[in-house]
Amino acid sequence: MNVLECRGLKKSFGELEVLKDINFEVEKGKVVAILGPSGSGKSTLLRCMTLLETLDDGDMAYSDMTVCQSKDGKASYVSKKDLREVKKKFSLVFQNFNLFPHYSVLKNVVDAPVSVLRRNKKEVTREAEELLAKVGLSEKLDAYPSQLSGGQQQRVAIARALAMKPEIIFFDEPTSALDPEITAGILRLLKELASQKMTMVIVTHEIDFARSVADEVYFMDGGLVIEKGSPEEVIDNPKNDRTRTFLKKLEK
Amino acid sequence: MNKKNVFKKLIMTLLCCALLAGIGLSATACANKGSSQKNRTKFTIGFDAEFPPYGYDNGSGEYVGFDLDLAAEVAKRNGWELVKQPIEWNSKDLELSTGAIDCIWSGFTINGRQADYTWSKAYVDNSQVVVVKNSSDIKAPEDLVNKIVAVQADSSALSAFTAEDASEENLNLAHSMKELTQVGDYNSAFLNLESGSVDAICMDTGVASYEVKTRAKKGAEYRILEQRISSEQYGIGFKKGNVDLRDAVQKSLDDMLADGTFDQIAKKWSLEESVCLGQLGTDEAYLQDDREDISTGLISRAIDIAGQLLSGMLATIKIFLLTLTFSLPLGFLLMRIRACNITILSLLARIYISIMRGTPLMLQLLVVFFGPYYILGINVSTSFRFYAVIIGFSLNYAAYFAEIFRAGVEGIPQGQTEAAQVLGYSQVQKTWKIIFPQMVKRVLPPVTNEIITLVKDTSLAFALAYTEVFTLAKQVSAADASIFPLFIAGIFYYVFNALVAWRMSKVENALKYYD
Repeated sequence: MNVLECRGLKKSFGELEVLKDINFEVEKGKVVAILGPSGSGKSTLLRCMTLLETLDDGDMAYSDMTVCQSKDGKASYVSKKDLREVKKKFSLVFQNFNLFPHYSVLKNVVDAPVSVLRRNKKEVTREAEELLAKVGLSEKLDAYPSQLSGGQQQRVAIARALAMKPEIIFFDEPTSALDPEITAGILRLLKELASQKMTMVIVTHEIDFARSVADEVYFMDGGLVIEKGSPEEVIDNPKNDRTRTFLKKLEK
Repeated sequence: MNKKNVFKKLIMTLLCCALLAGIGLSATACANKGSSQKNRTKFTIGFDAEFPPYGYDNGSGEYVGFDLDLAAEVAKRNGWELVKQPIEWNSKDLELSTGAIDCIWSGFTINGRQADYTWSKAYVDNSQVVVVKNSSDIKAPEDLVNKIVAVQADSSALSAFTAEDASEENLNLAHSMKELTQVGDYNSAFLNLESGSVDAICMDTGVASYEVKTRAKKGAEYRILEQRISSEQYGIGFKKGNVDLRDAVQKSLDDMLADGTFDQIAKKWSLEESVCLGQLGTDEAYLQDDREDISTGLISRAIDIAGQLLSGMLATIKIFLLTLTFSLPLGFLLMRIRACNITILSLLARIYISIMRGTPLMLQLLVVFFGPYYILGINVSTSFRFYAVIIGFSLNYAAYFAEIFRAGVEGIPQGQTEAAQVLGYSQVQKTWKIIFPQMVKRVLPPVTNEIITLVKDTSLAFALAYTEVFTLAKQVSAADASIFPLFIAGIFYYVFNALVAWRMSKVENALKYYD
């Protein structure tokens, strides 16, 4: 069963066509990695899928919930009320974490489930403490984001995403703002999540990580999906020249 | 410290503001009471309720007397409501200085007190006499040697015997007495005299002849010694410097003397022998310059001027607090409207801000005050003056605050809104949980700047002839022919701003728990 299914996604910024005709799907419990040079449209794709940007055209659906449908060459979105329900299906971990600076670590994780999902605060707090223990931050519950290192902030951001109990989590270059030695820790955490069958979509430049953790790899360039398949197919035996050039550059 | 506490603090600060505004409002209402005779509605006189025939309880719970009749007539002629306030004689000065009473009108002796009050002209010439039982062997004051003499506490008779300026003769006489005993009121003095526990009472002649006359009807026989202890005059005592009220009262008294009302009242109380209003030598205390002692000490002068400026200070504080109370939320609302998706509303907000920032505040105040009349033909009441000041200031400052808030919101990283959006926060939650708290921290320094400007801008209320501290200081300065009142006003502004800056830095520190 597919958690997310996208057909013919199109998005332009003015004259610039950023997404040309994208088909994208994520099967439950699978990890999908999106590779590609900067400007290839992978971040825009992620932002469209997480409703931060509005599509010009295409069909999109989360499990059984339609987000938008192509009508007369335009994307027609469902009502705002339905979109609010759709948002409960997914979470997004930002490149820059975007923690709420005025909230403590614990409050960052607890607040959305309580105020958005209207869940019991005690219960959510207990779960949040467990999640923060899982990402290794039991000691920092009362700290504020500015008192944490980048790696620690990203762990809080991941805990915040998990606390919403989404069906799927998107990661937008989760390690590109981090030092290499800290990156390893975050990648380990993501691997652990993958092993627990968390459905994930990860935009990344970490080829080795993509190879070891992804079930499927999309390679994007110029607003198109150039190649798609298992890591062995796309990373180790790329068929397309552009994929090959990109991978070679990364090896250097 | 967590965020909740900080916002509690912030809210507490705002609440304090509102509370102070309330206090300021009522305090100015009080302070205004004494400022102008035109606005006076009540005339409160303080009197000794056991001092017939000048003022006393007639036995049926009603206060009557010569002074009360005079006061009633004066009040009537000025359109005031007379309030007869019986006072404890020992605390008469406290009553007067706190403004609980407007004057002491109670057979009040001028002699020896010239410098302590602002006086009316003397209207009764009274002298201290000695009353004894008819059967007594006391014929003259010198017979009081080794006798017990009663006087009323804090009375003229007492000072005639004991005050620094009492005559040598009287001082010696007092020394030679067996005892000079003080009683609370004349009734108990006569009870003592009747029972023989005192031998003589020394008191005002007017009171003495009244008492002797009325008591004779009840069979008690007393007589008044011919030789007087001292001579004295009665006047109405006002708080030192309250020349305006004194003049208003004096004018009525002079009118009453001219048309015979005064003498009629005197006759009613059998005082025609004692009254002296309009006679030679009755205006010595009245003519003294009550401003002369202002130059005594720098500190006492500063305190005096600060006292005169008090109502202005309260008015300034009131403008300040009410303007903040309204303009901050209004500014936030305006900022939201300017940022909204509805083009026409956003445009209107922009135009509004542009006009409010682009024209002088003084002009805006004038438009708010006179606009209703000139544009809509509505007659505005005087009390609208104050509301116009608050409305004008609030509308103007809201525009500035809106722009400060906008800069604050725009400075918050886009990622904050996106994170809130992805997590599913509603528009309202996003605004109040994520954006507003972060905005507050960002705008504190410019808002503090603006608030300090507001403290000084309050002086523009003079454009609507609303008397705040600066306007008042200018008036006092003109009357005083010195720059000192303006200097005091300057100190007031400075201290006020120092307090504002201190309070804001407290809030700023409280928000330092995150970056």
